[in-house]
Amino acid sequence: MKHMSAQFRAIWQLMEGQRLRYASAIAALVVASCFLYLAPLVPQIIIDGVLTGSAEDASGFTRRAVEVLGGEAFLRGNLWLPTVLIVIVTAIAGAFTYLRSRLSASACERIVQRVRERVYDHLQHLPCRFFDRAETGDLIQRSTSDVETLRTFLNTHVVEIGRALIMMLVPIPLMLMIDVRMTLLSVLLLPVIVGFSAFFFLRVKKAFRLADEAEASMTARIQENLAGIRVVRAFARQDHEEARFDQRNTEHRTCDYRLYRLMAWYWSTSDLLCMAQKSLVIGAGAYWIAVGTLQVGAYFYFITAVTMFIWPMRQMGRILTDLGKAQVALSRLDEILHEPRESVPADGEGMPAEPLTGEITFENVRFSHGEHSPVLQEISFRVPAGSSLAILGPSGSGKSTIVNLLLRLYDYEAGSIRLDGFELKELDRKFARSQMSVVMQEPFLYSKTLRENLRLARPTAHEEEIYEATTIAAVHESIAEFAHGYDTLVGERGVTLSGGQRQRVAIARALLQDPAVLILDDALSAVDTGTESIILDALRERAGRHTTILIAHRVSTVMHADRIIVLDHGRIVQQGTHAELMNAAGLYRRLWSAQHEAAAECEQSLEGDARGTPADRTTP
Amino acid sequence: MSHELTFQEEEYSRQLDFALWRRILRHAGRYWKQLLALSGAGLTVATVDVMLPLVTAWIIDEAMASGVTPRLWTYVVLYFGLCALLCSCIWLFIELAGQTSTGIAYDLRRKGFRRLQELSFSYFDVRPVGWLVTRLTSDVTKLSSLMPWFTLDLVWGSFLVLGITGAMFWLNWQLALAVLVIVPPLSIASVYFQKRLLASSRNMRRTNSMITASFSESISGVRTTKALVREEENLNEFRSLSTAMHQHCLRNALQSAVYLPIVVTLGSLGVGLALWRGGVDVLGPDSTLTLGVLIAFMQYAALFHMPIEELARRFTDLQAAQAAAERIQTLLDTEPEIQDSAEVRSRMAATAPHQAAGASNLAEDGCADTVRRIEFRNVSFWYKPDEPVLRSFNLTVEPGETIALVGATGGGKSTIVSLLARFYEPQEGEILIDDTDYRERSLHWWQSNLGIVLQSPVLFTGTIRENIRYGRLDASDAEIEAAARLVNAETFIRELDGGYEFDVGEMGSRLSTGQRQLMSLARAVLADPRVFILDEATSSVDTETEQLIQDGINKVLSGRISFVIAHRLSTIRAASRILVIDGGEVVEQGSHDELIRERGRYHDLYVGQFARQREAERLSGGEETGMAGA
Repeated sequence: MKHMSAQFRAIWQLMEGQRLRYASAIAALVVASCFLYLAPLVPQIIIDGVLTGSAEDASGFTRRAVEVLGGEAFLRGNLWLPTVLIVIVTAIAGAFTYLRSRLSASACERIVQRVRERVYDHLQHLPCRFFDRAETGDLIQRSTSDVETLRTFLNTHVVEIGRALIMMLVPIPLMLMIDVRMTLLSVLLLPVIVGFSAFFFLRVKKAFRLADEAEASMTARIQENLAGIRVVRAFARQDHEEARFDQRNTEHRTCDYRLYRLMAWYWSTSDLLCMAQKSLVIGAGAYWIAVGTLQVGAYFYFITAVTMFIWPMRQMGRILTDLGKAQVALSRLDEILHEPRESVPADGEGMPAEPLTGEITFENVRFSHGEHSPVLQEISFRVPAGSSLAILGPSGSGKSTIVNLLLRLYDYEAGSIRLDGFELKELDRKFARSQMSVVMQEPFLYSKTLRENLRLARPTAHEEEIYEATTIAAVHESIAEFAHGYDTLVGERGVTLSGGQRQRVAIARALLQDPAVLILDDALSAVDTGTESIILDALRERAGRHTTILIAHRVSTVMHADRIIVLDHGRIVQQGTHAELMNAAGLYRRLWSAQHEAAAECEQSLEGDARGTPADRTTP
Repeated sequence: MSHELTFQEEEYSRQLDFALWRRILRHAGRYWKQLLALSGAGLTVATVDVMLPLVTAWIIDEAMASGVTPRLWTYVVLYFGLCALLCSCIWLFIELAGQTSTGIAYDLRRKGFRRLQELSFSYFDVRPVGWLVTRLTSDVTKLSSLMPWFTLDLVWGSFLVLGITGAMFWLNWQLALAVLVIVPPLSIASVYFQKRLLASSRNMRRTNSMITASFSESISGVRTTKALVREEENLNEFRSLSTAMHQHCLRNALQSAVYLPIVVTLGSLGVGLALWRGGVDVLGPDSTLTLGVLIAFMQYAALFHMPIEELARRFTDLQAAQAAAERIQTLLDTEPEIQDSAEVRSRMAATAPHQAAGASNLAEDGCADTVRRIEFRNVSFWYKPDEPVLRSFNLTVEPGETIALVGATGGGKSTIVSLLARFYEPQEGEILIDDTDYRERSLHWWQSNLGIVLQSPVLFTGTIRENIRYGRLDASDAEIEAAARLVNAETFIRELDGGYEFDVGEMGSRLSTGQRQLMSLARAVLADPRVFILDEATSSVDTETEQLIQDGINKVLSGRISFVIAHRLSTIRAASRILVIDGGEVVEQGSHDELIRERGRYHDLYVGQFARQREAERLSGGEETGMAGA
């Protein structure tokens, strides 16, 4: 029960701001059902009070109603009146039904829209640590299908439950007024019908789950086969694949067919129960008509009313069992929404008034992922505004972590990072980030046109500025070659750019932002050597415009930086200018010499061979 | 094979395409008995639906006229009996619909899957995997569930409309005419609103998939968003999407909110008309109309909207499913661009009996089962005629030779091996196997002779053992383990939980890239192919694994014809011939020493690669490559 109340509380909270709409919807629903049940009352009154020709047998209620409508004699001459009445009453019921649907749909859609936007906004503000742990597919599932489940629940289930209950309750006073015996008889099988459907759906839950699983595993099979189609062909394994698919296909068919069989039993049985309820009314009513204690009009009214309220009740069991699904979806969404967001300093703090120059200082910075050994320790360096720093090191040495700390994608544990003398932790994250632009090794482009992607950082950029940036990034010509040029759509629904193209577009995007700090995190790894040096040269010409941090794993990329640090296992092992590092024995010099040794060793090997027999030359 | 290609999903067609549906109906041909029985059930249900108000009328008239008589009880029992009959028909048609729809779904999936196994790579190049998966999953579901229900409702709906009309005319034709007034507006409203509902639910679906894409983008691009401080703008863009979704959903809800009251009000008009005209008749001097019949008329009037609504809905369903039907039919109709010629097929048919008898040492296509020489003769290839990817390529290779293909990306290296594997066929020139054009050989025979290791190694869900066995399905456990040992994969396999029975996860996701590379080598080794094709991975793995992979490759290549798209220095040096490919042409060719001596492209490429590799090794503190290591 505690569980249930928590469930209701969660739903109640969700309805915040829309409760009045829901209340009005319920009111409209009550009015609508009243009128809906009034409509068949008109034929009842006419039949019993006018057409049977024995008005004196009619119940007091009927006689009074006939009087209200103008008396028996008047009605006899004006039988069009009840027709108009029926249509008007039904139309009023229809108008309120429309109102009810409109109110509830609009309340539901507003709630769902709010939930969607809250989840979206929340996800964007969660720290990177959260995304390291989470699975993308699962998050998308929660943000879409779970929200959809919630929508179905609010839009269909809440409404259906309300409708079924009200449709059940509204006619009872009317029916009691007409005939007590018939009323009791009309609801006799109702508990059985609801009980049966709830019981049934609880029992077959597993079959539904199995069918879902069988479908998922069949889909996975197709997915894998198509993703690996080259391997399938390479080994000519088509027959084998077909046999393996056939297994899943058959399994899915079996599970699905089982569901159909269960549904066949469910619908036929529950229909039989409903029809039995109706037959009961028809049989008993006929007997009471025959013995003269029931009038034909009343009989008609009961048949109509039972038909109206019995079918919705049949759905109740299914809906009640579906409530569990909504509960699960809601709690899965809550899990996301309860994740703490990135911290934000108090209002007005952490936003220096002066624009930053881009001076960066690291002092004894330390960072680790959870309880593992530190990824970075004792990191200290200073980058004066406008100068450049290169970080060299093998993969896994912590180079990118330095960038992540600087961007405050992660928070450093000890030591201090200062930006223009401001402690980074005390600055507003968004402010700090807006002072830097970073190009990552695998840059992300949004599914927009190239122009829109480039403009993201500075929406006011002129065309010429865009071209200037793309020219420096050596990507202007490649873009111009696309059929749609700068209006080419990239990303999932558009053109797939190569890794090198993406990197260059991202560099242009960063340049366009013209930030205080420019960070290139292995951002030229997919660009060929020639283009790389063209871009580096162009960047060097802009020296002094921004502080540059350049991360790479090749000496040729970093040698021109004002200062170079060599990182290994999370520590700085060497630090200095190119000239200084060349004069010191150490990793940097050994890396530098690799280049020349390669050529020299090649020569040596040739001389060694020259003593052997000269091979035939093949001229291309 | 990177080329600029985009794929657009086609729009829905508007008109019902009868030719298409006739073809689709053929897939249901196997289930004609079920569909026939389904129609029978629909007919019975319609008859019972017509009968029930009639029986009610008899009950009322009998009870009013004669009181409690045996006949009255007969009618009541009849009523209940009809209800029971109705319910058994309901059971029957759900059962039959289940057989039909799951059966059709199964057949369509089987056929579609088979077709996908035959289609050429050019088909897959332009279609995302997700798009193809949807064809075999939701499209098939949509189509297969539509067929039985459409049949049932078509029969039930039209017979019910006819039945009610007939019964009313039989009872009292004047009154019938009065009630039938509501039919035209009812039909118009149903068709009109069903169409609108279809359109708005399409909008909902489309917007929904955009919302999913938007979430996916916000999650995979979260770091970029943070770095660019795009949170607000992204949310604003998302808001416009979610507002659109809100509007589409609301429109859809409002359409049904208007539609239902209209239908119910029209129904009440029918009831009212029956009461008015019937009432006048009952009160008339020579009245023939009983109250029972009057009530039956009112019930018919209230019932009328059901079949009409259902028919309108099913026809819009049909329209909604047409796009799915089109896509499935197109998939099934697509002929593979590369397949055995008629001549090859007839040769295969002729050879099959000999092979079955074990009396033949020929290949399945009746030619010699040997690969003694492969020759590329003036081979050219292009995707677009004015942009050749490969031009007049010539090459002859004999067993024991390893051909290393080097050069910049996009130069045509991958094209050469794809042509060799007959994933594509040359537009000009020919590729000869023992002097026979490979288009005159069986595709299956040729590809069975190949062992291919792709740059990004793909494994399938299952155990390590199952994945290696993929190379040769009848391999024994001992042979599998021997293959793993040969490529130095056994060490890591032994360390896995469960060893050879370790579950590698979806697409091998539970293994590292290096481990997957070793696995795909082992798989190829087990196949023991005559021709080996290796697209070396460029992605860096740790030095130790690198060494293991290298040793594995060396063992695999010896004694076969092999083609290697080479990135590793030791593989390149060990090759018997090196082809430097650029701009679709061979620019240099020869052994390592010869090419170094020429001091041309290869020399520069090699020295650059050598420096790069050594630098990387020094940086990560691993063992260094040297010239002596060749």
